[in-house]
Amino acid sequence: MSFASGISIKNIKRKPFRSLLLFSLVLLIAFTLFSGAFVIISLRNGLECYQSRLGADIVVIPSSAKGHGSVDDILLSGITGNYYMSGKDFEKVASTEGIASITRQFFLTSAKASCCSARVQIIGFDPKTDFSIQPWISESYKNEIEDGDVVVGCNINGYDSGLITFYGQEYRIAARLEKTGTGLDNAIYTNMATVRQMAKNADRLLETSPFQGVDIETATSAVLIKVAEGYTIEEVADDINIHITKVEAKMAKSMISDISEGLLGTSRMIGILVALIWALALIILIIVFVLLSNERRKEFAILRVMGASQKMLSRIMGTEAAILCAAGAAAGIVLSLLIIYPLSASIKDMLGLPFLSPGIPVILLLALLSFALSLFAGMITALICARRITKNETGLLLREDA
Amino acid sequence: MKLLCEGISRRFFRNGKNTNFFNAVEKTFFELPEGAVTEIVGRSGSGKTTFANILSGLLTPTEGVLLIDGVDFFSLPDEKRSQFRNKNIGIVPQGQTGLSSLTVLENVLAPAFMYGDGKEKESLAKELLSQMDLFELCDVYSNELSGGELRRMSIARALINSPKIIIADEPTGDLDDDTTRLVLSLFRKKADEGASVLIVTHEHDALQYADQIYRMEKGVLSKEG
Ligand SMILES: Nc1ncnc2c1ncn2[C@@H]1O[C@H](COP(=O)(O)OP(=O)(O)OP(=O)(O)O)[C@@H](O)[C@H]1O
Ligand SMILES: [Mg+2]
Repeated sequence: MSFASGISIKNIKRKPFRSLLLFSLVLLIAFTLFSGAFVIISLRNGLECYQSRLGADIVVIPSSAKGHGSVDDILLSGITGNYYMSGKDFEKVASTEGIASITRQFFLTSAKASCCSARVQIIGFDPKTDFSIQPWISESYKNEIEDGDVVVGCNINGYDSGLITFYGQEYRIAARLEKTGTGLDNAIYTNMATVRQMAKNADRLLETSPFQGVDIETATSAVLIKVAEGYTIEEVADDINIHITKVEAKMAKSMISDISEGLLGTSRMIGILVALIWALALIILIIVFVLLSNERRKEFAILRVMGASQKMLSRIMGTEAAILCAAGAAAGIVLSLLIIYPLSASIKDMLGLPFLSPGIPVILLLALLSFALSLFAGMITALICARRITKNETGLLLREDA
Repeated sequence: MKLLCEGISRRFFRNGKNTNFFNAVEKTFFELPEGAVTEIVGRSGSGKTTFANILSGLLTPTEGVLLIDGVDFFSLPDEKRSQFRNKNIGIVPQGQTGLSSLTVLENVLAPAFMYGDGKEKESLAKELLSQMDLFELCDVYSNELSGGELRRMSIARALINSPKIIIADEPTGDLDDDTTRLVLSLFRKKADEGASVLIVTHEHDALQYADQIYRMEKGVLSKEG
């Protein structure tokens, strides 16, 4: 072992308070860096996932949906309502000019009563035309959804029997979907025929039927539209809004941008907060380093008397900092993993935004980056402090009190 | 190894003001001969430490050059100067100079480990420590030593690399008479073996060990006798 490393280790051991102080500061720096980046990335992930799932330019819902929970709610928080447009209105929407692809969905909320296993949102879609739910489902379930089958979001737990009951009838759980970090995780998916079957049972069992005057066989809750080339999304949406009175066309892009604005705002806020804490910790680190290293002026002078070069002193200070900073950074990252990971569910609830934790490779990369950055910050500070002392003449430093 | 001062002086500023300066050491010509003990005496504040630090290469002179075996010492790069000091100049500075993270033995061995494997010097270190009557304290941390013990430790440390130049600033200041004699005769022995020895001292007893004596008075160095 070189002289510099040997003496660095002895210094760390013999000055536990000093060592602990630096260790804790770097721990704080690494912790804020890693946790902050983790939350921000999870938010971005959530949005991206959400954007790719939706895949529609325009969402058309009946005017009666107003106040019952909007499409934003359906997609984001899993809150939907039982609202329906007639088959005639759907035909009108479908005949609008400038549509490349169109698909319909049927929403049904299960009741809390004994006829149902749980109160959840059921989303029926048309596998033949769907472009919004199918691609996502196919990541977990390659087969077609048969009549009487349902696919459940990842937050729908239990039902080991593989069966779930809605309005007095059992359905087979064909698959559980991958996590999206959105309200979609709380819903149940099935094909049109099955959801209409459920709706008929509901109509029969419920005292006040949600299908007032609407024919269940042709009813639709939401229509998802992709606009054809040569048309703008605004054009098509306006066209629908002007000509069909009983429905409302919403531009999905504007919904997404609403969310992403909220998300950007939040992630910017978190980013600023993290940057602030980080900068604060860094400033404290620098101050502590300077104060601690000022106490070491005499020590450095003694080493110089023995023949240590400026380079050697930098190496001693650098090695000490490297050991303490590496330990502190590693501890900070482990700590934030221990805290953030289990808490990500409550963080998500708190923020009310899609939140999807990154995968292991990204976490590793993030950990590595936070580690490197914390180490770098500590080392640079240490080296600057060492330089600050050694640029003084030894003959002058020697006169100072130990 | 011969040490030569050519017109060396050192200026200091009082209270850090650029206008209020004085020379702690006036323009000085001086030679430290090989194989001899040279002593510098003088009143407190006369500039002895300042001068000794310049000779050790620890303080740059305002003017003049320091030649060691004909080489302008302060023109060397830091790395070279440090290595040279480690190998050839044994310095006992004024004041307390222990490294508190190290034991007494580790303190003494530190210069030996800086640019080489100090392991082989361990027996020498122990020998020097027993000469300094510190052998029992080998494994004690240096911040637990008394002033005189620290002083003796720094003398042992200065001698660990068998330097050809020894510069000791009041090495016997806080020692009793017996230990003082012990230390001075050790320096005497090193000079007899060929080293160039410089001792800054107040002690009258010390003078009998000297080959030549200088007096420092308000920064002016003059030869005695
Ligand atoms: N860094 C400095 N800045 C300003 N003045 C200084 C500085 N170092 C020393 N001096 C002054 O230079 C003069 C000589 O100091 P020096 O330490 O060389 O004296 P000395 O002869 O070694 O005294 P002593 O016997 O008390 O150790 C003193 O007046 C001191 O106040
Ligand atoms: Mg002095």
